[in-house]
Amino acid sequence: MTFDWSVVWQHRGELLAATGTTILLTVATMAIAVPCGIVVAALRLYAWAPVRVTATAYVELFRNLPLILVVFWAFYVLPILSGVGLSPLATGLAALALNVTAYNAETFRAGLNSIRRGQVEAAMALGMSRTQALRRVVVPQALRRVLPVLASTWVSLFKDTSLVSVIAVTELAYVAMQIRAQSFRVLEMLTAMAAIYWLLGYPQAKLVDWIQRRYAVTE
Amino acid sequence: MSVSVDRAKGAGAKIIRYRGVVKRYGDFQALAGVDLDVHAGEVVCLIGPSGSGKSTLLRCTNGLESIEGGDIEFEGALLPKDERALRAVRTRMGMVFQSFELFPHLTAHENVAEGPRTVLRVKLAEADRRAAAMLAKVGLAEKAPNYPSALSGGQQQRVAIARALAMEPDVMLFDEPTSALDPETIGEVLNVMKALADEGMTMVVVTHEMTFARRVGDWVAVFDAGRIVEQGPPRQIFDAPTTERTRDFLGHLGWTG
Amino acid sequence: MDFDFAVIADHWRFLASGVGVSLALAALSGVTSIAAGFVVALARLYGPRWLRPIVVLYIDSMRAIPVLVVLVWAFFALPIVAGITMAPLFAALLGLTVHLAAYAAEIFRAGIESVRPGQTRASLALGMSQGEILRRIVLPQAVVRMLPAFGSLLSVTIKDTAIASVIAVPEFMRQSETVQGQTFQPIEVYTFAILVYFLMLFPVTRGVEIFYRRVAHLGRS
Repeated sequence: MTFDWSVVWQHRGELLAATGTTILLTVATMAIAVPCGIVVAALRLYAWAPVRVTATAYVELFRNLPLILVVFWAFYVLPILSGVGLSPLATGLAALALNVTAYNAETFRAGLNSIRRGQVEAAMALGMSRTQALRRVVVPQALRRVLPVLASTWVSLFKDTSLVSVIAVTELAYVAMQIRAQSFRVLEMLTAMAAIYWLLGYPQAKLVDWIQRRYAVTE
Repeated sequence: MSVSVDRAKGAGAKIIRYRGVVKRYGDFQALAGVDLDVHAGEVVCLIGPSGSGKSTLLRCTNGLESIEGGDIEFEGALLPKDERALRAVRTRMGMVFQSFELFPHLTAHENVAEGPRTVLRVKLAEADRRAAAMLAKVGLAEKAPNYPSALSGGQQQRVAIARALAMEPDVMLFDEPTSALDPETIGEVLNVMKALADEGMTMVVVTHEMTFARRVGDWVAVFDAGRIVEQGPPRQIFDAPTTERTRDFLGHLGWTG
Repeated sequence: MDFDFAVIADHWRFLASGVGVSLALAALSGVTSIAAGFVVALARLYGPRWLRPIVVLYIDSMRAIPVLVVLVWAFFALPIVAGITMAPLFAALLGLTVHLAAYAAEIFRAGIESVRPGQTRASLALGMSQGEILRRIVLPQAVVRMLPAFGSLLSVTIKDTAIASVIAVPEFMRQSETVQGQTFQPIEVYTFAILVYFLMLFPVTRGVEIFYRRVAHLGRS
C-alpha cells in the first residue's frame, strides 16, 4: 500500500477555491441569519398573538430537524413548490440560512429576556417609549450577552457547511471527495480534507473561547 | 426642617391627589382605597410594613402600574390612559428606584444625559450641560466618565437621582432609595435628598428611614394592608400617634423617638 | 400539483426499520460518547500533567472538524490505515462516539467545575477523600446542572445520525432517500421525514426542559 500525498498539492487550486466557497457560505449565511434572527426574536416577544405563534412554530420546527434533511428538502421540494430553480449553492445557502436564523432567534430572545425588568421601568420612568427603551437600553445590553453564543453558532455553521456537499455544492467537503473519487487516493484526500477543516476551525474555536471569557456576564 | 406648608389652611397647590385608589394583583388587594394629597414643595413620606402598598402607590403614580379604581390627579388633571400622553406626564415626574437601575452600558454622565437627549430631544450641548450640572449637584462631578460598575451603591443612587433631576421634574418619587445600600453610604444619599427638599422640591418618599421622615418630612402617611391607617405631620405620627396600628409598627421598629 | 401520500404507506416497513436504526444508533452512541466523555473529562481534570494538552487538543479538534468529515474518514480511510473492514453502522458508531465524546467531556468538566469550591473545602474538613468528595458531593450536584446540556447533546446525537446516511447506514434519512429516489415523490417522502424527525426531537428538548425545572433546586449550592 503506497500513499501519494502529492495528489493534495496537485489539486491545491481546486481545494483553495472550494475552501473559499466554504468561507463564503459561512459569511453569507450569518449575514442573513443575524438580522433575520433579530426580527424573528422581536416578533416572538412583541408582536400580536398569531404572528408570535407562527414565529415560535418556525423556531421550534427548525431547531428540531437535522440540517441534512433541510438541505435535501430545500433541494428537491423548494423548486417544485416555488416554481423557481435555484443553483445548488443558492439552495444550500437558503437551507443554512433557514436553520441558523431559527437558532439565532432563540439566542436573541433569551438575550433580550435576560435584561432585568427594572431597566425597562427606569427607562419608561424617564418618559421613553417601549421602542426607545428597547433601542437605547435593552438591545445594547443584550448584544453583550448574545455575542459569545453567536460566536459559538458561527463555528457550528462553519462545520455545517460541509452538509451542503450532499447536493453537489462545490465547497470543501464535496470537492475533496470528488478528487478522492477521481484519483482513488482515499486516505490522502480524506485526511487532507480533515486537516484543512482543522486548520480553519481550530483557531475559530479558540477565538470563541476568548470571546466567552471576555464577555462573561457578571451580575 | 424643610419649608413648612400650612395644610390646615389648604395653601399650596395640590400637585398630586389620590382619591380612593384601588389596585389588585389577581386575588391580592394591594391598594384598598387610598386618599392622599401632595402639595407643592412638600416632602411626603410613606411608611409602613413591607407589602402594605407604599411602593405600589408610587408605581401607580407614574403609570408603571395601572389602577382598577379611584383617581390619581397630577397637576389638576387625571392621569391619562393614552400611552403617549402618559409618557409626557412621566417627563414631569422623576423616579428613583431601590435597585438604582442605572444603565450599565453608559457612563455616569451618559446616564444622566440620556433622558434629556432621547426623550426631551434637547441638543447634545444642552444635554451635556444639564448632565454636568446635575452630577455636580449630587457631588459626583469627578465620577462623570465612570461606568456604574465602578461606582459604590451610594454613588450609583446619587447618579440615579441626578438622572431624574436632569429632566427638570415637578415632583420626585423615591421608592425605598436607601434600602439596598450599605449603612455607610445611606447618609450620602439622604443628604442629597435633604438638600433637594430644602430647595423646595416636591417629593414623595417611600422609606424605612424613620429619622429622615421625622426630620425632613412635612407629612407622613402610615400604610397597612393597602390602606393609610394614619397620616399627619411627623410630630403627630412619631411623637403622638393616634392609632394602635401606627404605635405597633413604630414599636416593632424599636422607635423611641 | 397533487400529493400522493400513499407512497408512505407502501413503504412504511422500510421506513420504519430506518427509524429503528436511527434510534438505536443514537442510543448506542449516546451511551458510548457519555462514557468516553466522562473518562476524558476525568483525565483532563485529575489526570497527569502531560496528558492534559493531549486531551485539550483532542477536544478542540472535534470542535473544528465537521461530523460528516469524521464519519467519512472513519468509514473510508480508517480501514486503509488499520487494515480492517468495517460495516457502515460500526463506522458510524465509532465516528459519532469520537466526535460527541469531546462535547460530553466539556459538559462534564463545566459541570464539575461549577460546583462551588466551598463544597469541596467543607467536605475535606469533614475528612473525606477526593474520591468520596467527587462521588458523594460534587457529582450529584454537577449532574443536575449538566442535565440541560446533555439533553441538548442527545438532540444533537439524533440529528447527527441522519448524517450517517452519507456512509450508507440504513437509518431513516437513508431509507427516505432511497424511497424518494425510486418513487420520484420527494415532497411526500421528505415532508413525512420532517414530521418524523420533529416528533423524535421535540419531546427530547421539551422533556429535558421540564425535567430540569423540577430538579434544578437540587443542584444549587
